[in-house]
Amino acid sequence: MEKTKKRSPQPFAGEIEKDIAAVKEFLPADDILVYRFETEDKKACAAVYADGITDKELLGQLVAKPLSLSPAPKTAQDARQLLYFPETKPAKDVQTACDEILAGNPLLLIDGIAEGTTLGTKKVSLRAIMEPQTSITVKGPREGFIEDVKTNMGLIRRRLKTPALRFETMEVGRASKTAVVVAYLEGIAQKEVVREIKDRIGAIDIDGVPDSSYIGKFLAKKSYSLFKQAGTTEKPDILCAKMLEGRVAVLSDGSPIALTLPYILAEDFQSSQDYFVSPYRATISRILRTLAVIVSLFLPAYYVAAELFRLQLLPFGLLMTISGGVQDLPLSPSLELFFLLIVLEILIEASVRMPKYVALALSVIGALVLGDTAVKAGVVSSPAIIIVALSGISAYTVPDLTGTLSVIRLAYVVVAGSIGTYGILLFTALLAYYLVSSDSYGAPLLAPFSPLIRRDLRDSIWKADIYSLDTRPAVLRVKNKTRLKVRNKEKNG
Amino acid sequence: MDKIKLRQICFLFAAMMPITKTIVYPATLAYTARNDLLWSALVNFLLEGAVIAAVLFLAKRTNCTFFELLQNTFGKVAARILYGLFGLFFALSALLPLMEQKNFVTVELYENVPPVISFAPFFALCFFACTKGFKSIGRVADIALPVFVFCFAAILLLALPQADFAALLPIGASGAKGIFGGALQGLNWYTDCLYPLFFLGHFEYEKGAAGKVLGSYAAGSAAVLVFLAVFYGTYSDIAILQYNTLAQISKYATAGTSLGRVDLLFVFSLVLVLIFYCCVPVQMCVHCISKAIGCPPVWPAAVVNLLLLAFTIFFNYSFAELQTVFTQKLWFVFALFAYVLPVCSLLLRRTANSPQKEKSRE
Amino acid sequence: MNKFWTRLFIVAAAILLLLFFSNDFGLIDIQKTAVIAAIGIDAAETDGACDMTVQIAVPDQSGNGMASNVTVKGASSVNDAITEVNRKTGWYPSLVHCRLLLLGEKLTEKDVFDFLGFFLRSEFIDDSCLVAVCEGRAEEALTASSPVRELTAVSISKVLSSSSQKTGAVSVMILRDFAKGYYSPAASGYLPYISVKREAQSEQGSNALPSFLPDSTQKSEQRSTDALPSFLPDGTQKFEQRSTDALPSFLPDGTQKSEQRSTDALPSFLPDGTQKFEQEDGRSRGARKTFSPRKVPGRSCGTMHEGVSASTGGFSDSMQREMLFPIRNIGSIWEKLFPRRNPLPIGAPCAAGTESSGEQGGSKSGEGGQNADVFDASRTMLFYKGKGVSVLETEETLAFNLADTSTDLAYGMVEVSENGETVSYCLKMKIAGKKLSLDVRENTPVLTFRIRANAQVSDVSSSQDLLQVTQTARVPEHVLRAAEQKFADRLGQILEKSADTGCDIFGAAQRLYRFYPRRYDGLKDGLLANIRPVYDIRFDTLR
Repeated sequence: MEKTKKRSPQPFAGEIEKDIAAVKEFLPADDILVYRFETEDKKACAAVYADGITDKELLGQLVAKPLSLSPAPKTAQDARQLLYFPETKPAKDVQTACDEILAGNPLLLIDGIAEGTTLGTKKVSLRAIMEPQTSITVKGPREGFIEDVKTNMGLIRRRLKTPALRFETMEVGRASKTAVVVAYLEGIAQKEVVREIKDRIGAIDIDGVPDSSYIGKFLAKKSYSLFKQAGTTEKPDILCAKMLEGRVAVLSDGSPIALTLPYILAEDFQSSQDYFVSPYRATISRILRTLAVIVSLFLPAYYVAAELFRLQLLPFGLLMTISGGVQDLPLSPSLELFFLLIVLEILIEASVRMPKYVALALSVIGALVLGDTAVKAGVVSSPAIIIVALSGISAYTVPDLTGTLSVIRLAYVVVAGSIGTYGILLFTALLAYYLVSSDSYGAPLLAPFSPLIRRDLRDSIWKADIYSLDTRPAVLRVKNKTRLKVRNKEKNG
Repeated sequence: MDKIKLRQICFLFAAMMPITKTIVYPATLAYTARNDLLWSALVNFLLEGAVIAAVLFLAKRTNCTFFELLQNTFGKVAARILYGLFGLFFALSALLPLMEQKNFVTVELYENVPPVISFAPFFALCFFACTKGFKSIGRVADIALPVFVFCFAAILLLALPQADFAALLPIGASGAKGIFGGALQGLNWYTDCLYPLFFLGHFEYEKGAAGKVLGSYAAGSAAVLVFLAVFYGTYSDIAILQYNTLAQISKYATAGTSLGRVDLLFVFSLVLVLIFYCCVPVQMCVHCISKAIGCPPVWPAAVVNLLLLAFTIFFNYSFAELQTVFTQKLWFVFALFAYVLPVCSLLLRRTANSPQKEKSRE
Repeated sequence: MNKFWTRLFIVAAAILLLLFFSNDFGLIDIQKTAVIAAIGIDAAETDGACDMTVQIAVPDQSGNGMASNVTVKGASSVNDAITEVNRKTGWYPSLVHCRLLLLGEKLTEKDVFDFLGFFLRSEFIDDSCLVAVCEGRAEEALTASSPVRELTAVSISKVLSSSSQKTGAVSVMILRDFAKGYYSPAASGYLPYISVKREAQSEQGSNALPSFLPDSTQKSEQRSTDALPSFLPDGTQKFEQRSTDALPSFLPDGTQKSEQRSTDALPSFLPDGTQKFEQEDGRSRGARKTFSPRKVPGRSCGTMHEGVSASTGGFSDSMQREMLFPIRNIGSIWEKLFPRRNPLPIGAPCAAGTESSGEQGGSKSGEGGQNADVFDASRTMLFYKGKGVSVLETEETLAFNLADTSTDLAYGMVEVSENGETVSYCLKMKIAGKKLSLDVRENTPVLTFRIRANAQVSDVSSSQDLLQVTQTARVPEHVLRAAEQKFADRLGQILEKSADTGCDIFGAAQRLYRFYPRRYDGLKDGLLANIRPVYDIRFDTLR
């Protein structure tokens, strides 16, 4: 799309037909409609609106009706006072008015008044607030963000009833003019971080922003990184908790996913449910997730390396079982596992995209044909199927990292198959060096493990009880550190 | 500035320093000192500890970097030359541990002997690490500590039932010649005392820093001494046969069971720590050379790693000769650079401290 | 700089993928690897050469292990033999799972480290593998088939397991410890001495248990499911009716008689290309404990397997049987209608290719016979400077283990005279503490055996009254004293053998060097002959 030519703002003429023509010249699309009506004293009025995103009933009831029952106002201010509508803004030039029309806010023109009025009667069909698919919990709130940024802001406001809560709205995208909101708690979030985020968002010059992930790419310091650079969440309770820790949230209109910065890798191993159940249960869950990630990453590679390079890694009995299973297979162990991992990725991709009515049939194909029949046909071995299945399932214990883990897992298999057991270690060391030298707005990605921040370990792999979490995470370097003050000296239990 | 935390220096000594002394060093020491290997190692540890204490004393009195101290004393050109020499020394001191690691890896991580190309990717990793600076050294030390503590303890626990500590008797059987001879030949494994010298100015000296660092060093030394004791108790008369001790010592506990060589998992985790540690002297070498030349570390890192790769391939079948040269012929080079010069750095001219920095130290 | 890293990353990824898909380092993966479970070395006809037999564990599709033996004769070194194996089978031999090194008897006439040195040098074989000497040829021992159809190597390894060591039945030795002894100044060591007992093929349709006459000829007998043979001291057979959980016994004799072949024996090839059939060990059936035969005569119990020792808790099996005496008839009828599954009797034949669980060996023997061999490792060979110099008999082995190894529970036989008759007591001994120390008194090395054990009567050769049977935990004083004396006697015999052969089995020289270094040079010559043993052995009865 061509860059919009910057033109000097065109003021309204004060003659309704000329003004309507000027607006239609800017917005020639067929869905830009004009509703003409008259005041009591037959003064011409018009409302220019975009069909489909304007509440026409509201327009008629609260705007056209009072005007048509009253004499023509002398000024735009008078006109606004006549309306039964709180959300009005003056529009001094045609361009501003057109932007508002495109945002769903109609333009009110009155013959003889050289100023328009935009009305906040936007009405967009939105889906209901429901639990997001990627963050299902057994205990805890079930609300999730939707595509409307104002609704999302409302969900946050409902949970943080403090005057310190700030929303700063910016517009991003030459064509989409997407509203991007930076939300933070004044006095808790670092000002430098807020400033840097706003600067980066302000510097974005792009046609359109369909999703918050686009914003995330611009906010990332290493845009090519395999790892996320910003935290994501679809749940307002999680977002509010992160804001209370000192993070800054970024909401984007049209996207239910909110971004949080700074981001550390340990966040993805935490679940909101950890804070609603007992700390022992939460600790076990986190340890399980960590182990699951380790299994997901290392098990296929370990299997390949053991078969190709170091048989002694397998106990004798297990070696006999595996060896019997891989006899006469056409593929080497590394290619076999690589192939199965690719098939797994295809299955996952297909299951996301397939229509629901063929899901059952394709599940049968995936399970029986690709699993059982492939083993019977001697294409792959049973141990490999088990390993790939276990690895695939384990990755989903941390849904936010699944994509990253899939890629890294494949890389591990390639490394294990080409360099061997030492390759696995070298690649682990490479990842370690990469992660320790990455940070997100001043917070090291591997905190609180590297650098070791003892105080923050209380909410890392293990989850301490609520009384222990009396200070905000030190990694975020907030000035207001205290978040829990115990009034009574006695603590429960 | 490229910063490293004091805690991370402590972890470097506690967790990463012991690992290189568990590969070939025990067998080499047993050859000279036999059952007095503990005393021989203790001599080295005390000597190295004294040097570390001296360097920390210097750190307490100044927060200049070592380069600045040299510059203040000898001028910029001389400082660069000396840094270049230290860079060469670090490359030299990295060579034998790299060869040890290569041999360890080719024997313990593979069953059929792989070509040298299996080890070559290490230098790619090292190159990447060399571009990251001291901060990365500190942060991987944070990761290395829990891995080392857990895995090393597991290995020792598996090995303990096999050890007959009476094999360490009688004390002094090898005589002063054996004990001090072993200490002298082991000097090339004890060059870690040089690292705090180059960390000068890159870490904040806080109250009790010397105690913390020396305490960590003592903990690392104790770990090595316990390992040597268990090693000799396990092997005694055939101790000198045991290269790659780290992977041998713990296999007896589970070898005959259905678990098989489950200890290899712990060994592999320790190899990860070994990889981190083997990158450190190369990183120091690159730091020195880039400081000497005055260029970003990328190009020195590439050149140094390529050269080390070339040396590794060249000496692929000459490890025994290389070890003989290093331990018996070049011991004075290690003594000079790792012990004498750091102590002499106490005599270097320091710049005046700023008032703010003096307050922070109190 | 980002472009530089991006390009570098792309090049590295390309190289890695090329290596991955070509996978051609000349590396050998699991599909081309022969997993060697055991190696047997025999002296060859040519002096200085060896015959090496490797037992390769061959997995089948179901994952069970089968064994295939390959023998190389006349190899000049072990390395040559292994290379020959590769050449003959086309598979690359992997030694990492080799758990057993079996030396033929004849090989021990010379320094065994002429051949064992390879395993010390090799970086790919663990020195945690078991080492043993077998009676006769190791090649034949590795063709033995276990009653539970495991790999021979696995069966022998179980006999030589650390659990066996704990019962004192076997002196377990691994390569590391054997090498330590060899390279020590004393140059001494010991290895378990294994005898293979060949069993007759079972007759069709029965649970016939084989037995041996003293002249070792096999004799198969048809008998009831719970009739077990035993031998009188003169070797004649005697049938006894006993409960199904009694164990059979037979004379130990290592000579083979006939070899039975299973229907799915695998051939192997000699270097001259002639085929040689070898016993297939059959499919593994899970962990089963192997048995070592009990000594005859009568109901002696020199060594017992773990299964029985684990099963006896406070009351012994014989006492339980006695308590049930009044209702024995009803019990025997019940048992005939619903026979209990016995622990596997010794020498019970297993039919090849059957689907039986093997719990009552040979229970489905209708499908053809297969030999079931068992291994006796109750003797120990002493070594000095790498050569076999003497053999400790079963009781001497037991005494040695009780005194100086990790044995803490054992069964021993004591004969005492009661009312003019010789009564044999089988004692269960739990070692409460033991210490072997050397000190020098008046320029004489004194080797002190301090052993404290708690004993319990496990069985008696003659019937006793109910009260005596009830108080089985209490051992009569005279029996305890006799046991102490017998123990001391056996230790004395070991010391004599040690002095005669120069094998410092108790590590006296090492102890002298470690604790009395100044006296070492003066006393090391003739140490073994000059040692004065002191036996501080005390057995107490269990309460």
